[in-house]
Amino acid sequence: MKAELANRMVVALKNSGIDFISHVPETRLSEMLPLLKADDTFMLVPVASEAEAVGIAAGAALAGKRAAVYMEGTGVFVSAYNLLTVGIRYGVPMLLLVSYIGSVEDQRNTFLYSQYGCRMIPQLEALGIEYRIIEDGGNIGAKVSNAVRAMHALKQPVALLFTGEFTEAQ
Amino acid sequence: MIRYECFEWLAPLMTDQLVVTSLSGQRVEWGHLSKREADLNLGSMGNALAVGIGLALALPQRKVFVFESDGSVLLSLFNLPTLANLNPPNMAVFVFDNQAYSGTRISYPSATAGKTDLAAVAKGSGIEHSVTVSALADFKKEATAALHDGGLRFVVCKIEESVGHRNITRSDVDLLETKYRFVRYLERTEGKPIFQGRG
Repeated sequence: MKAELANRMVVALKNSGIDFISHVPETRLSEMLPLLKADDTFMLVPVASEAEAVGIAAGAALAGKRAAVYMEGTGVFVSAYNLLTVGIRYGVPMLLLVSYIGSVEDQRNTFLYSQYGCRMIPQLEALGIEYRIIEDGGNIGAKVSNAVRAMHALKQPVALLFTGEFTEAQ
Repeated sequence: MIRYECFEWLAPLMTDQLVVTSLSGQRVEWGHLSKREADLNLGSMGNALAVGIGLALALPQRKVFVFESDGSVLLSLFNLPTLANLNPPNMAVFVFDNQAYSGTRISYPSATAGKTDLAAVAKGSGIEHSVTVSALADFKKEATAALHDGGLRFVVCKIEESVGHRNITRSDVDLLETKYRFVRYLERTEGKPIFQGRG
């Protein structure tokens, strides 16, 4: 992701009220991390697995934080059980910031990733998780704040899948 | 050591500490002995440690107790290095280790019945205060310290496999009711709104 886009993403998260982000780093959106780390608005929590990233975000959300989980698309599969048992069954609002690895518009798609991409939407739909695909940075502030409003209204996770412009190398 | 006896002793001592429970008999027994709004019964394996970490980070002024089982911790071992590195000083984890998947009804042995030592795994992950207790008196010492002192504690409680919880009438308070009760309690005691959005 280009630096300017990473910067606009962080501003969008901040303006939408997100203040807690658990995460496992990945390749496509990673330029956000130094910016998030440098901004006191965010409690940035590095974890070892997307499965616990979901649980940790849930705990923070139940205590009043506006929580997000940043992960690679593969993390949606890793954390499916936790998304279902804590996010959906318990009903906890959290924003999933997902790099849509292996999607058709993924600018770094190869045979390593494509099988994840084509199963992402069926996986989210099976879990009952609302999602939006974001291919470019146009109007990113509104897209993030809409998702945050939806997660609070639904009281469950809502996913933003980033591909296209977001997957271009720096 | 009998888990119910541990809880029977501890429950009356709890005040404003937050408690997260996972699944298994400890959920039923703690729910029977403690009717506090500050109790968060998750009703699932492999999530209580993570949710407890999130609560402890978001509310550093509150003490968070997590009651886990050996099977549940084994399902989520990645929590241990994360917990070690975050090192929340307001969190105490008690793992009730009966060395079996008791819910199977056939006492199917867990890894702790074999070669695995969860306190050693936690210690190796970087949790400095990681101990095993096998006697009620030692449990009381650790729990008393957790109530009154700071610092992350990870206490593996070796217990006998018991089926006493199967005779306890199960609560009809479902997960959503538990969640709302817990969140409204926090809103009241922390003086801040948690769930956004008005109808």
